[in-house]
Amino acid sequence: MKCSDVERVLPELLDGAPDGAFPADFETHVKSCPACSNLVSDLKLISSEARQLAATEEPAPRVWLRIAAELRAEGLISDAAIREPESAPTRPILVPTSRRPRWSAWWLAPVAAALVAAGSYVVSHKPAPQVAKQQAPATRVASPAPVASPIPETPAATSASAPTPAPRQMAQKPAKPTDTIRPAVEPESSEEDQQFLTAVSTRAPSMRTTYENQLKAVNADIRETQAYVDRNPGDTDARQHLMDAYEQKALLYQIALDRIQ
Amino acid sequence: MASFQQASLEQTNLRQATVVTLVLVTCLASAALAETKKEYRFTVGANANISVDTQYGAISVRPGSGNQVVVMATLKSDNVEVDQQQNGNRIEIASHLLQGADQQTGQVDYELLIPPDATLNLRSSTGPLSAERLQGDLTLEGADAVVNVRDVDNGHVHVRTMRGPITLTDVRNGHVEVVSISGDIHLKSVTGPLVQANSGRGKIFYDGDFGSGGNYRFTTHTGDIEALVPADVSADFRAHSVLGRVRHDFPLQPKHSRFSAEAGRSFFGTVGKAASDVVLRSFSGKIRLKQR
Repeated sequence: MKCSDVERVLPELLDGAPDGAFPADFETHVKSCPACSNLVSDLKLISSEARQLAATEEPAPRVWLRIAAELRAEGLISDAAIREPESAPTRPILVPTSRRPRWSAWWLAPVAAALVAAGSYVVSHKPAPQVAKQQAPATRVASPAPVASPIPETPAATSASAPTPAPRQMAQKPAKPTDTIRPAVEPESSEEDQQFLTAVSTRAPSMRTTYENQLKAVNADIRETQAYVDRNPGDTDARQHLMDAYEQKALLYQIALDRIQ
Repeated sequence: MASFQQASLEQTNLRQATVVTLVLVTCLASAALAETKKEYRFTVGANANISVDTQYGAISVRPGSGNQVVVMATLKSDNVEVDQQQNGNRIEIASHLLQGADQQTGQVDYELLIPPDATLNLRSSTGPLSAERLQGDLTLEGADAVVNVRDVDNGHVHVRTMRGPITLTDVRNGHVEVVSISGDIHLKSVTGPLVQANSGRGKIFYDGDFGSGGNYRFTTHTGDIEALVPADVSADFRAHSVLGRVRHDFPLQPKHSRFSAEAGRSFFGTVGKAASDVVLRSFSGKIRLKQR
């Protein structure tokens, strides 16, 4: 028997099949193969734990009968309401068989955290070596399309704007636009965003348009900044703005998490 | 004949006016009847922690007397309840929407009188949120809520909104952190060791003197930043907009810095004795430092 054969019969372990129910070569292989041995022992553990969990979750039948008797005594339910079909002798009418669908928004928290983490990664991720090659300190290129032309320096600005040879931190200028660096994250309309909007639609339909517009705006900011950072990988201030934009998106998720549950 | 027609017309107008008035009075009366006012009182010790959370509605907080917390809640309908709980020095007030509640019927407006030193947490999606004349830490959060904080000393002031505008006035000696995704932020006479404001698409206005010994960090993505300061301000200034323009009206004294200024996009320099450090950053918004 091979590992693949063992894996094929493993689901039966979850169904509680006794050890002897498997072929002899199954046992032989498991004993000789550490990987399969670990897998089998893990599955046995999971299976037994799951059975114990079910036992603790499920109250005894007498509990349901007592509750029914109490409710009947208080006039909250009629006998007809608790008459149970013979096929289901213990509980189902008193116990909701299907809970009201409730949107659990807790997935938004890790998503928001992931957004910040993604932003951090993008900001802290240093450009690849080939980017450095493309930077030519003497070359200055106009900023991207949305840039308005610089205004003339005011006299006051002139007095304090003398360039220094110090390393550029805030005003790092591009060497040359390049598309060789791909953005780490392209938040056009990710699966999480769609989930997010679906959740908003379900829980607060009137807020859907508002959140959708805000999300579009934040995503647009991220894309715009990301594109700029791609062209100007040495601009640390732009990277910080990218991080800020991701934080704004995380904030949007957090506000939704807090407000529309 | 003409006078008869005129009299008939006047009678018709009178009847119409009466009907309209009656309808209005009925509507107002039913609205008033649906409203419920409730008052809760709690006794707390020093530095109490008070939280109010409502999905829809205004929250207004002022200082009260002594160690009493008074909560006056106006419920707009029976579709909403007020849950209140006190655990020692901690008080939690929350609106509880019932089946079928919407923005109108689920609204609860709160007015609170609290000890001035209490820590306060306010949350409302719609707002407005306002707090004044307090000295404890304040946290105000809301999606569309208009936020007003006035006359606050020594506390931490944290505000965040999605698109609600935020106004802080006369906030002294506080750690101030204000964040909005697209709401404008107005800071008037706000000083402290740390003052941070960040708005993605909203504008930031600062009107004050940047105090003494504080760090001021204002950041926007597309929104403009405008600071209006007196001529005798004392601060180190750094401003940079990646894609927008920057301007200033001050004779900034150049100083040695690791940053380099780029005409029209950034400036830095000192005014006075550089008591505070001011950084203004925007991605594509304009930045203006104006002399008052």
